[in-house]
Order: sequence, then structure tokens, then C-alpha cells
Amino acid sequence: MASIPLDAAELAISAPLRPRGGRRWRGLVLPLAAVALWWLASRLGWVNSALLVSPIQVLDTGRELVGNGRLWLALRASLARELTGFGIGTAAGLVLGALLGLWPRFNRLAGPSFNTFKQISLFAWIPLISVWFGLGDVAKVVFLSLAALVPVVVNTCDGIRSTPPALLEVARVYGYTRWQTATEVVLPAAIPAIFTGVYLALIYSWLATIGAEYLLVSGRGVGNLLIEGSEHFQMDLVLFGMAVIGTVGWLMNACARLLERRLARRFGRP
Amino acid sequence: MSKPLSPLRRATLSAAALALSIGPLYATAAPQVIRIGVASAGGGEPVTWGGSPGGVVRVNEWLEQEFKPSGIQIEWLFFKGAGPAVNEALSNKQIDFAYQGDLPQVVGRANGLKTKLLVVSGARNNLYVVTPPQSDIRGIKDLKDKRVSIFRGTNGHLVAINVLAANGLAERDLKAVNLDAGSAQAALVSNGVDAAFGGYEWFKVRDQGLAKVIYSTQGQDPAYTRQASLLVREDFEKEHPAEVQRVVDVFVRAADWSSDEKNRAELFRIWARSGTPVASWEAEFDKQSLAERNSPLVDDFIIARYKAVVRDAVQLKLIRREVPVDGWFDTRYLQASLKKLGLEKRWTAYDAKGQPKAGGPAIAAR
Amino acid sequence: MSRSALSLQPGHAAADRPRITLSAADRPRITLSAADRPRLTSPAAGGSRIADSEATGPAAPRPWRAAPAWLRRGAARLEPLLLPLALLGLWALGAARGWIPAQVLPPPVFVVDTLRDLAASGDLWLHVQASLQRVLVGFAAGSLIGLLLGTAMGLSRSVEAYVLPSFNALVQIPVLAWLPFVLLLVGIGEPLKYILIAKAAMVPVALNTLQGFRQAPAGLREVGQVYGYSRRQQVLEIVLPSAVPTLFTGLRLGFTKAWLSLVVVELVASSEGLGYLIVYGRQLFQLDLVMAAVLVVGAIGYLIDRLLDLAERRLAGRRAAAAPGAR
Repeated sequence: MASIPLDAAELAISAPLRPRGGRRWRGLVLPLAAVALWWLASRLGWVNSALLVSPIQVLDTGRELVGNGRLWLALRASLARELTGFGIGTAAGLVLGALLGLWPRFNRLAGPSFNTFKQISLFAWIPLISVWFGLGDVAKVVFLSLAALVPVVVNTCDGIRSTPPALLEVARVYGYTRWQTATEVVLPAAIPAIFTGVYLALIYSWLATIGAEYLLVSGRGVGNLLIEGSEHFQMDLVLFGMAVIGTVGWLMNACARLLERRLARRFGRP
Repeated sequence: MSKPLSPLRRATLSAAALALSIGPLYATAAPQVIRIGVASAGGGEPVTWGGSPGGVVRVNEWLEQEFKPSGIQIEWLFFKGAGPAVNEALSNKQIDFAYQGDLPQVVGRANGLKTKLLVVSGARNNLYVVTPPQSDIRGIKDLKDKRVSIFRGTNGHLVAINVLAANGLAERDLKAVNLDAGSAQAALVSNGVDAAFGGYEWFKVRDQGLAKVIYSTQGQDPAYTRQASLLVREDFEKEHPAEVQRVVDVFVRAADWSSDEKNRAELFRIWARSGTPVASWEAEFDKQSLAERNSPLVDDFIIARYKAVVRDAVQLKLIRREVPVDGWFDTRYLQASLKKLGLEKRWTAYDAKGQPKAGGPAIAAR
Repeated sequence: MSRSALSLQPGHAAADRPRITLSAADRPRITLSAADRPRLTSPAAGGSRIADSEATGPAAPRPWRAAPAWLRRGAARLEPLLLPLALLGLWALGAARGWIPAQVLPPPVFVVDTLRDLAASGDLWLHVQASLQRVLVGFAAGSLIGLLLGTAMGLSRSVEAYVLPSFNALVQIPVLAWLPFVLLLVGIGEPLKYILIAKAAMVPVALNTLQGFRQAPAGLREVGQVYGYSRRQQVLEIVLPSAVPTLFTGLRLGFTKAWLSLVVVELVASSEGLGYLIVYGRQLFQLDLVMAAVLVVGAIGYLIDRLLDLAERRLAGRRAAAAPGAR
């Protein structure tokens, strides 16, 4: 299975490193400067291109989309799909990860295949998914479930396999059956790792949502807003769409980290 | 079994048996919804498309009106991925009818999709090559080694290859990028591609001064045009022949209306509801009679074109084996419609070369 | 007979743990409730982790244990292949029996044929070359930028304070969301692909580099301070060596991300490459071409990942030998 350092590295991406030291305002300097530069460039016409839209325009477009409800419709459609896929993928991933972790024979048989499967970009499966499931929501949910499945399986399995040996010995001394050991020792010890997996699954399925909308084009969604903007040369729509995607991703991250801190207090860190 | 079945088991089994026995009966009952897939992203609100009498059916809601008394709903699905995407939908039975171009229909059939072609719904569509306004590409020969957008798998793909071949080039001699209509426009305007193969959607861009047309199949050998027709899934046709007939009737009625020169302005206005302006339609149909383009007849020209598409596709390895065209067209419905509506002599049948058959208007050959 | 006491000290390596070896005759007769009854199972040869690959259940099949070691090793080698072979068999059977229509899943034979045709006509190499070139250039560029950025942030707290929050924000936006934006900026040529792949690679490299710089053990740093190391000496001799493994992990992860995003980018707009093959197959409903391309993508990704894994382990081994107390 994937070595743990790799997943810690993955986590580092989604649980952002925080700057050390105080004076948090320093983080705002760069973005504000960039926006100011951008605004100047569009105002003074430094770059002559139909694509250079001013920040004000992006804000206006944003306000318009919020006002006429299009943004909420798109967001609702995307989020609904994402949460469905996330739910299915996580559930399946927990089962598969538990099997891989608890049953060494199964791990030997299925582990390498799963590892290889992980290496293939999920997007490569899109043509097959679209032939088997069509272009509608079912196909997208299938795709998102796969995206959520992978991190859950990897982290669940790793979490289970890294149960502290001491705990296992105690279980053995007390004569726990395999079932008891699994449910009362291994799984609780693996909860922080499992949570990491679920956390990553949420992020990944959001990232995959945009991709799915891009490649399985039909219906509504935030990704479709981006495509529309790209096709009609509406840079402001594209930029606003990107901002929305980034914000939603950041919000999910923040919520998940909050939960993680709560859980860490209860169950301890991995 | 050693034990007699418990009462519960018996009840379940008999219920299952009953359900299974009435299943087939139920299947031949009318469908609750008829789904039509259109191989175009379309546009407008509600989404529609132009260039085919089908667009008229959509905008005027003739199918909805026809099936309302029977309580059958109509669902229109538009596919940005055009013909290839429609094939995907057909392969998992998400649509019952499809409006598609000739090449994707052939590709679908070659790959085992069981369909029947019913009526032609947009013949002799043209193909154009466009470049950015400042480009120094003058003709097809200048396309060598250039980055060109081609929408693979659509009927334009094959015509593009034939056009290139007529100028001594092959698809390999270009850097061909697969882009759908919308993306191709974005790419060309931002100089991402040097040229693009496409259809009537480019007139709007040209009229905005953002592209120029350097090649057109208009006025050339009709072999360089592409056809589109309405097809139905074989299963659906077997189960609901009555509904299929009614759909065909509506399409023939629309074809009749769309072939009347008196309706030209109104027709273009209806098609303009999809987002492609009237001026583009006027350019596309320049010097052409509506009847020639909107005729539903499956005549020698159409059959010859489809056979040629199969031949070329095999040769170019777009499909792996020949597919028979005979027996694919099921013109019983078309014949019945023409008879019912008294339109047997309305349209000219064309011979294999696209010329009117000797003897003036005649009934569809097959 | 003596029985060593169970050691409950956490952190004891498997090797030091006393072995409990009792034969059937030695088993104590103790009447306890089911929950308390000690289960004296045949001991595992290695550690006591449940998921240890050597662990067998309470009833290890005797004949297997008695089989010659080379047979067991060979079988163990083949085990990973069982599942894929079974699936392959199922696939072939399904295609042959017609359970699965050909357009939904082409028979494996078709896929192999297509792969062979591609290889024979030289097309495969063309596309693989195009894809590899893109990923290598993008990865190199992205890693370089990532290393520079991560180092800058790692060495200077103020740089970190200014740059990291913006970096974190931009990271939230997936590659495909950047696509329309970059597409409008640079069009659909090679720069588009290089930029997107570089972005995908840069993120993990930068973050891991920063992480590596941060995790220099405080103890060593103190020693450096006590000995009056200059800043430069501190960085070179304390911070850097402990950062290298994390850095390498970042590079490895960066390559994985770069390879994954290569396929995505090529799916959208390209005129050659493995992603291009997938699109071509999709447009022309040639699922065997799609599957062949997917197989090649998976194989190459897997190979390169193994190579990097090997390199990482070599690196870790060398480091462990050189500086046992560094961690």
C-alpha cells in the first residue's frame, strides 16, 4: 500500500501549513497588491486585449449571478452531486479499506491491483463511464464516488495497519477474538487516519466535480459556468467561477479541519 | 425440495410469476416519455437548434401537442459532444430517437448499436474552413502543418478528410485538434488554432469580423456535403411502432412546412431562436432551395451518400468493418406519412449523383 | 518451563519481544468466561500486528506450511496477479458469451490487437513520447519553481508570512478550473499544457519543501546555536539534511500529480499524446483504443512511481547509514 509519508504529504496540501509567527495581516499584502495592479492595468489599458477585464467587472458579474439566482442553482447542482458521490465513495471506501487492512490475504490479492488503479488518472476512465452510464448525473456521481473512494481506502487501510503493537498485544493476552480485536482495538485506533481519509475524500470529490462537469458536459453546475465563460470569451465569468470554486474548497477545508481538531481531542492524533 | 413451501414463500413466488407474466404485456403499452437526442449543443431559452426541420418541431412544440392527448411526455436532450455523445447516450438507452449526422450514425452501427433510420432531416449541409482575419492561409493546401480544429466523429470530420484528400493532404499532415463547435470558436478567436473546419455556426463569428471563410463546399459536388437524419432505437421501434409513426408524421409535416419558399423568412426566424442569427441562415442557404435541403426523402442520393460514408470510413480506419446500409433505412413509416399527408409528389427524388431524377418529382425510391 | 513475562512496553521492536511458544500439552486448563479465556494461538513468526503479512489465523493450514519454501515464495509473488487475471478472465468470458455488448466493453483480444497495431505502426511511441516530453518539461519547471518557493518560504519567515496565505488560496483551485483561464490567456498550444502540469507539480513540491525546512529537529538546532554556527552553516548542515527526505517525497508526489494532470490536460485539447488517443477513441466509439491508451497510461505511471520509490528508498537507506541520530 502507499507508504504513509506520501499521504502525509497529501494532507499537507489540503490542511495548509500556516505561517509561523504573528502579524497575520502580512498574508493579505500580496493578494491586495495583485488586485491593485490588475485594476490599474485594466484602467490604464496597459494590455490591449479583449480578455483583460477589470476586477470591478468580475464583481459585477458575480453580483449579477447571485442576484438572478443562477449561481445558487449551479452551486446547488454541483454540491448535490458532490455530496452524493462523496457519500457513496466514502461508504464503499471504508468497507474496502477495512477489508484490505484487516484481512492480510485480501490485501495480498487486491492491494497491488488497487495500487495500480490509483496510478491511473480518474479522468482517463471518463470515456468508459460515459458509455456505461451516459452523460447525466449518474455518470458524474459514479465518477465522484471513485474520486472519494481512493483516499478513504488508502487512509483506512494504513490507519488499521498502524495500530500500535502494544494495544494488539493486550488484546491478545485477553484473548479477544479477531472480531473483538478489530472492532474494539484496531478501528478506534485508526479513527484519526480514517478521518484524514474522509477529509481528503471531501476535497477530492469537490475537485473532481469541476472536472466531471467539464468532461461530461450536460446539465448545470459551477464547472459549466466556467465553460460558458471560456466559450463566450467572458473572462469575468471565468474568474468569478474560479473564485467560487476556490472559496467553496476553502470552506470545506476549514470545516473539516475544525472537525478534525474536535476529534483529535477525543481520539488522539495518529 | 424436501420441505413444502411456506405460505409466505408461496405467495412471493406467485406474485413474482404474475409480475413476470404481465411484464411483456406491459412493455407493449405506450411509453410514458419519448426522449429525443439532438447532436448539437443548441442554444436559446428553451434550448433549440437550427438547420433542420426538427428545429421547427421543437420550437412549435408539435411533438408535445401530438402526444399530449395520449399523456406521453416529450423530452429533448441536447448534446454538446454532438454525434459521438449521442452514440454514448444511445448505447445506454438514455434516448429513444436521435437527430444525428451520417458519420456518427455509421460509427454507432459499426459498433453494434441497433438503430433504424427513419427520415432525412437536414440534407446537404455545408462545411467551411475558417481562419483568423489576419491569417495568411489562403486555401486548403496552406493548411499543411498548421494547427487545425476538427470535430472528430461528426459528419463534418469525414467531409473534412475528403476535402483535404482532394487537395492532396491527409489528416496526418495537419496538427489536428479535436474541439467541439463552441471550443473551436474560442480557440480560433484567441489564435489558439490557425484554422478550423466547421458549419453554419461560423457565420456569426465572421460577421463580427473575428474570422474569415477561406473555403466552402457550397456550389460544389454534393458529395462534399453532409447529411443528418432522424433515427430510432430498434428496441423502441419494435415495442412502440404506433408512436414511431406519429413522430415521423410530425417530422414530415415540419419538412413540408420548411420546404415552402413562402416560409423562408419565418423559418430562419425560428432557427434564429437557437442563437444563430438570421443572417447566418441566409448565408448557409444562399442560392439553395429549401426543398432541396429539407426534403425528408430517402432517395438514391441519400443512400449513395451513406454508402460512401461507410466506404470511406472503413478505408480511413474510422470503423473496423463494413456495415450494410440496405435494411438500415426503415422507410415504411416515411411512406405511410407521405401517403397520409398526401405529399407523395411534393419533393424531388435525386439520383446517386445528387441530380434530380429524370421525369420530375417522383415518389421516394425505397 | 519458563515463560517470559509479556512486555507491554510500547515501542519495543518485534525482535525484542519475548516469544510465547507453548505446545498443546503445556496449555493451561483454566476455566474462565468466554471473554476472559486466554486464546493461545500458534504464534506469528513476526510481530504481533494483525495486518502483518506473515500472520496466519488460529488454524494455519498445515500442508501449506510443509510445502517447500521456493514454492511458497513463488506463489506469494504471483498472488498480486490473481485478481487482475481473474478479472481479465471474466472480461474475456463476458465478451465471448455476449453478456456484454461489444460497444460497451470490447473483448480483451481487441484491446491487445489495437495495442499491437499502435506499437507496430509506431504511433504508440509517437504519442508516448509526446506525453512524456510534456510531463517531464512541466514537472521540471514546476519542481524548480516549487523548490525555490518552498526554500524561500522555509528560510525566511517574512517571505512565508507574505506568500503562504495566497499560495494556500490558489492551491484550492483544481487544475481543470485553471484550464479555461489559462486557455484564454495562452491558447491551446504546448504552453497551456506545460503551465498546467507545472502548476500541478509545483504545489506538493513547494509545500513539502517548506515542511522539510520546518522540521529540522529543535535539538539539533540548539546544538548548532550552542556551537555558534553561522546561518549558512545551520542551513547547510542541520536543516537541509533533515529536509531531504521530505523534499524527495514532495518530488515524488509532484510527479504523480503531474502525470495525473497530464492525462486531464490532454483530454481537453491536444493533437498528440496518450490523452489525445483516449479522446480520439471516445469520439469514434472505439473503446478498445480508449482501453489500450488507459492501460499504457497506467503502466507508465506505475513504472515511474516504482522507480521513484526505489530511489527514495536508496536515499533513505544511505541517509540512515550516514546519520543514525539525525531524525
